[in-house]
Amino acid sequence: MEQFIYYLKVSFKGIKRAPLPYALTIFILSVGLGVFFANATFYYQLNSDPMPHKSDKLFFPMMLLAPYTCTDCKPPRVLSYSNIEKLSQSDIPSAKTAMYSAGGYMRLNASQPALPVSIRITQRDFFSMFEVPLLHGTIWPDNNARHEIILSKATAEKLFGRTDVIGEKLLLDDRHLTVTGVLDDWQMLPRLYDANNRNHLSPVEDVYLPLETGYDMNYLSNTQSQTFDQTDYRQLSTQGRTGALHQLQYWVQLDTPAQQQAYQQFMANLVQDEKAAGRHPSEANNQLIPMRNIVNYFGGDSTDIKAFALVTLLFLLVCLFNASHLSLNRYLGNQYEFSLRRALGASRAQLQLQMLADVILMAVFTITGALITAYGGIKLMNQLLPSNRLFSSWDLTLLLSLLGIAFVCSYLVTLYPSLRASFGNLNQQLKE
Amino acid sequence: MITLTNLGKVFRTELIETHALREVNLQVNEGEFAALTGPSGSGKSTLLNILGTLESFDSGDYQLDGKSVKGLSDAALSKLRNEKIGFIFQSFNLIKDFSIYDNIELPLRYRGLNAAARKQRIEQALELVGLHARRDYLPGQLSGGQQQRVAIARAIAGEPRILLADEPTGNLDSLMARQVMELLEQINQQGCTILMVTHDPDQARRAGRNIQIIDGQLHDSTMYDPLAAQSA
Repeated sequence: MEQFIYYLKVSFKGIKRAPLPYALTIFILSVGLGVFFANATFYYQLNSDPMPHKSDKLFFPMMLLAPYTCTDCKPPRVLSYSNIEKLSQSDIPSAKTAMYSAGGYMRLNASQPALPVSIRITQRDFFSMFEVPLLHGTIWPDNNARHEIILSKATAEKLFGRTDVIGEKLLLDDRHLTVTGVLDDWQMLPRLYDANNRNHLSPVEDVYLPLETGYDMNYLSNTQSQTFDQTDYRQLSTQGRTGALHQLQYWVQLDTPAQQQAYQQFMANLVQDEKAAGRHPSEANNQLIPMRNIVNYFGGDSTDIKAFALVTLLFLLVCLFNASHLSLNRYLGNQYEFSLRRALGASRAQLQLQMLADVILMAVFTITGALITAYGGIKLMNQLLPSNRLFSSWDLTLLLSLLGIAFVCSYLVTLYPSLRASFGNLNQQLKE
Repeated sequence: MITLTNLGKVFRTELIETHALREVNLQVNEGEFAALTGPSGSGKSTLLNILGTLESFDSGDYQLDGKSVKGLSDAALSKLRNEKIGFIFQSFNLIKDFSIYDNIELPLRYRGLNAAARKQRIEQALELVGLHARRDYLPGQLSGGQQQRVAIARAIAGEPRILLADEPTGNLDSLMARQVMELLEQINQQGCTILMVTHDPDQARRAGRNIQIIDGQLHDSTMYDPLAAQSA
């Protein structure tokens, strides 16, 4: 340890000899790493798996069950109520839920100003499938229509000023509902259950309403709906359940490969039956999309972030090259001292330990600079791409990875120059 | 102690080959004080650098304490330099922003000695060169003669068995040069073998042995004959 403190002291002396080139090296490296960190943060968060222990068991089944003829058609991105009814007949999945999202206004009584809320209209399995934590109350006992609502914690606090509000009444678009549950803090990032229109980048909903109630209350989907017959989408409560009005997402939990295979067979049989009944003339095209691939399937990959990632990686390489060049000049300037140390008995291995002290010092300065730059970069990107705001936080894994990268970069910037400096002709350099 | 057998050194460029040393045979015994003299470019500094393992050789053999240094690894050569050899350079080669104490400590650091052992050796060396009171000075605050005495202190602090001095008084005036020579003689009297490159005939005379090098070949007052050594 005493020797390492000595190495640090020598490193500081080296810095004092040529502070400007050193500061410039740190600056270049900090900017390169900072910009890279900022982008890596978004890239990491956007591509992270919110349920790594379960995401390979959750699937979005898609079928070309529509009353039109076409070849090489992809199935519609959303399903009709009647399709969901048919799919729901299978007991193969250990959980299943249909859902869509809508918007509304909420208040406690008619005299209050209304609060705009996002609504997830769904079924009871939603909460277990996506592991939504419950703070108070219970989830609906079945999928029947009921004038009951589940609130997010933030919405309960906003509306009532507290969270324990089970049994309280409220008005959603001026219709009376009873609060039966309040969720605990929950933020699924990215929100992969709602990837149809890149909605996976937005926060989770404020309130949760039973699917049947949503249909009864004529809530239209605020993301995607398609009609393949004469159904008037505005008449959801009367025509939505029978017509070819597609607006539902559907998720099933299939825990084993055998279940997945059986469910695919069930889907194939279902399409065959429908075709035999003459209802769906197109070629069968069934898809069972795993949750991990859902963003990619819907083409929701963030191309802007990908492009940024490539640019920032190239920028980091340029910065590394420049910093290495500056560092090389600095080390060659100190080559005389390297040679003197070698002449007096330091081995190359001991000089590399000295270099390690240089690396640690450089890493400390660079990490500090890079984190400040990255913080500024993230703030700027939040302004430029507000939809990605939720994905700008650092968790421990990310932070440790970033620190590791900074250390490796500092090492790379120091490694070659120090090796060059320690391999010179001793006699020649001691004479110069 | 030092045995060179048919040692040769060639400097090569794209166009020419220069034989800096040819068939050099030399035996230096423990406790000797030998002066290496010769005209500029004759190969005396090259020989000193080879003896100090700062430079490699192309042919022949160099044995130190009966062991060949040929083919030794970088770590082994560093250890050998650190433990057995002390260097005194013409231009002192002190690190300018290190104190006198820190400069002398340099080779001891790589020896792995603890702080107390280092301190004891540094203080002994400073005492010997008469600079104990200036241990916290920077080299730039000392005269040339004092700086060379610091370099000598650094060289002897590790208690080497051989001291290699390359024109140690070359940058000093006559008074300071005399002081440095007296110091080297004092160190030699304590048992340390000294090989010193010098241009000064007076200094060469003060050494017990004069080894002259001309055009890379040795003209020694006490030439070593490897054949004779073998038959003996």
